[in-house]
Amino acid sequence: MRTTFSRHGPRESECTRLCRRQVLSGLGALAAVGMARPAVATENGPLRLALTPVLMISDLDLLESLRGYFAAATGMQVELLTRRTYQEITSLVVSGQVHAAWICGYPYVKYRERLSLIAVPLWQNEPLYQSYLVVDAERQSNDWRMLRGDIHAFSDPDSNSGYLVTAALLAEEGLRPEAFFAKTFFTYGHRNIVRAVASGLAQSGSVDGYVWEVMARVEPELTDRTRVIRKSEPLGFPPIACSRELADTEPVRRLRTALLSMAENAEGRDLLELLGLDGFSVAHPDLYAGIARKVELVERFG
Amino acid sequence: MNGLSALLGRWPVSLRVPLLVALLMVVVSVAISERVLTRLAETQSRHLAQLADAYLDGLSSSLLPIVLHRDVWETFDKLDRAADLYGGLQLVRVVVADADGAALASSDPREIATGAQLSNSFLERFPEAGLRTDFATGRAYLHRTMLHQQRQIGAIYAIVDTSHLMRERREVLTQLVITNTGITLLLALFGYVAVKRMVRPLRVLAERLQEGGRGAVVPIKEPFPRGQEAQRLFGAYNSLVDAVGEREALAHRLAEEERHASLGRLASGMAHEINNPLGGMFNALDTLKRHGDKPDVRSKTIDLIERGLLGIRQVVGAALVNYRADETSRPLRREDLEDIRFLVGPEPMRRSVVLNWTNDVAGEVDISAASVRQIVLNLILNACAASPTGSVVAFAARSNGAALVVAVDDSGPGMPADARLYLSGEAVPERPMGNGSRLGLWVIRRLAHEIGALIEIGDSELGGARVVLTVPIAREKELAHVA
Repeated sequence: MRTTFSRHGPRESECTRLCRRQVLSGLGALAAVGMARPAVATENGPLRLALTPVLMISDLDLLESLRGYFAAATGMQVELLTRRTYQEITSLVVSGQVHAAWICGYPYVKYRERLSLIAVPLWQNEPLYQSYLVVDAERQSNDWRMLRGDIHAFSDPDSNSGYLVTAALLAEEGLRPEAFFAKTFFTYGHRNIVRAVASGLAQSGSVDGYVWEVMARVEPELTDRTRVIRKSEPLGFPPIACSRELADTEPVRRLRTALLSMAENAEGRDLLELLGLDGFSVAHPDLYAGIARKVELVERFG
Repeated sequence: MNGLSALLGRWPVSLRVPLLVALLMVVVSVAISERVLTRLAETQSRHLAQLADAYLDGLSSSLLPIVLHRDVWETFDKLDRAADLYGGLQLVRVVVADADGAALASSDPREIATGAQLSNSFLERFPEAGLRTDFATGRAYLHRTMLHQQRQIGAIYAIVDTSHLMRERREVLTQLVITNTGITLLLALFGYVAVKRMVRPLRVLAERLQEGGRGAVVPIKEPFPRGQEAQRLFGAYNSLVDAVGEREALAHRLAEEERHASLGRLASGMAHEINNPLGGMFNALDTLKRHGDKPDVRSKTIDLIERGLLGIRQVVGAALVNYRADETSRPLRREDLEDIRFLVGPEPMRRSVVLNWTNDVAGEVDISAASVRQIVLNLILNACAASPTGSVVAFAARSNGAALVVAVDDSGPGMPADARLYLSGEAVPERPMGNGSRLGLWVIRRLAHEIGALIEIGDSELGGARVVLTVPIAREKELAHVA
């Protein structure tokens, strides 16, 4: 971090005026430093927790609230790491460079042999969520087949709701995304899917239903310009997972306790309010069987 | 141009000067406004170019790796964020194209979709590189080619709204027009007031001169204005008025002297008229003293004395009528002319000139008796003076209801040309002719003018000059009222 800021000049007045993007780029630089000097999650070091863009990580207040809560609840120093892609986060957690990561169900299924579930969020009191197909609010039809020939926005190639569900839907019809859509691109963020469709950059998009609903509450001017034409069946909510090797370590135990007891204290409830969640529960791998079937379907279709 | 000059020439100077000031100000204002607007346009263009360069520099450097990977979302996201960062540039549309000229992303995807080939009609509005401003449409077009390892990997096309710059120029122009109009009007008003003050002495002078033309010339009594020129002007005018006054006083004095001279000649004639019967009466008295006891002698002598006294009374009566001051406005009677015959009687006798007298005037004529008598008296005296011994002077008067016509003929050598002109000229001479020896002519001319009479000079059948005096009867009254 110091290295990055020194390039722009170390003046405090400038640093205090840093915008969100600069801080994020600072976080990126921090990650770069971490990769240059590979960190390993240890029992003595800080609790290292990686977050996928499943969350609305652009909200620095939310990140700070998360860090503050976990620090207080675990009694440990907490280091939050964010990356642009799911793949980078998955690598961090699978390789044991972080104690835990909030990952999507799709990477969990792919790496379930090497990962262990810590907890799963409860949304609308269920550990489930849906994938939405969204289009421009002006478009009339509700048939997803009308999306043929669209420029379609996906979130991430490793995202369940932002890619896998739609790819599986097409695979069921014997179609591939690149053939069905005129063009596809990845936005590496569910909020960006909504922005892309609302602005007309994409004519349709695959988005996390939980994110869309939270956005409909806090940014209705954006979601009002989009319309949900299809909701998938309920699927396992993105879990908090860790490398199997670290599953029984003290930091992970403390993290699990902090997560499961979040709804029981005021600070935790505040955080849950910010996240739009009801709490966390113990997760079972069977929760992700639906996602596993979709992975199998897509892989089988080739 | 000549028409304009003529038109301007007819306007008073108090309007011409402010108009010239206003015209001058308009010319100056146009020149200044042109310079201000040109400088403003240059400054705006320079700032726009600098801002456009900064925008293209920042955007192209951040977009280079993204365009290289053909990342649609990141390209769009960069454009979206850059629009906020460069608030000074009012971006209408930004398009990032790939190396094939297809849109990778645009700020307005609904208009230019990702993957759409950019049309020639769109591309031809942009310069080869940098900025092209089209103030007519209120748009500026920015173009930057993105190069990587000497190969073109894409291009940025941006359309910027510059209508606010035109609006700013219009506002500046409006301000200039309002300010300059205000200053122009103020200066024109100031010029009007200043010139009005400056020409006020001239106006006063012109009014006085016009008044002088209509009647009496009056000196300027109000305080003189401060300006040296105006003071000199007023001083010169007052000196002129004094000189005219003195000249008129001199003329009056000369007229009086002439009147006295005429009186003297008349008195001499009267003395002659009275002296003849007087001598006879003294002889009669001697006869009475010596032969008064003889009834027939006494009776003849007393008759003689009575005729002599009657003759004296007639002479004295004519003189009284002629010189009574309250007689000036009395209408002319036939007897007035007959009195003149009697009054001038001694003069022809003295010069041995025969006076042929024809008086066809009957009753009263509504003309000033005193003036006519004065004129006729002078005309006959002059005619007698001009005629040689033994010749004839003819007088004829008649009234036709509209005018009294009096003609006096003499047997002299004829009237000199200057005297003819002097008598029959349109304007009344302000002073006696020549050295003042011919005051009689001047008296005739003045009196004729006063009663509106026309004097015509011609050649007489008697060999000399013929002077015809025509006095309009109605006109005389009008003039009397005007006077």
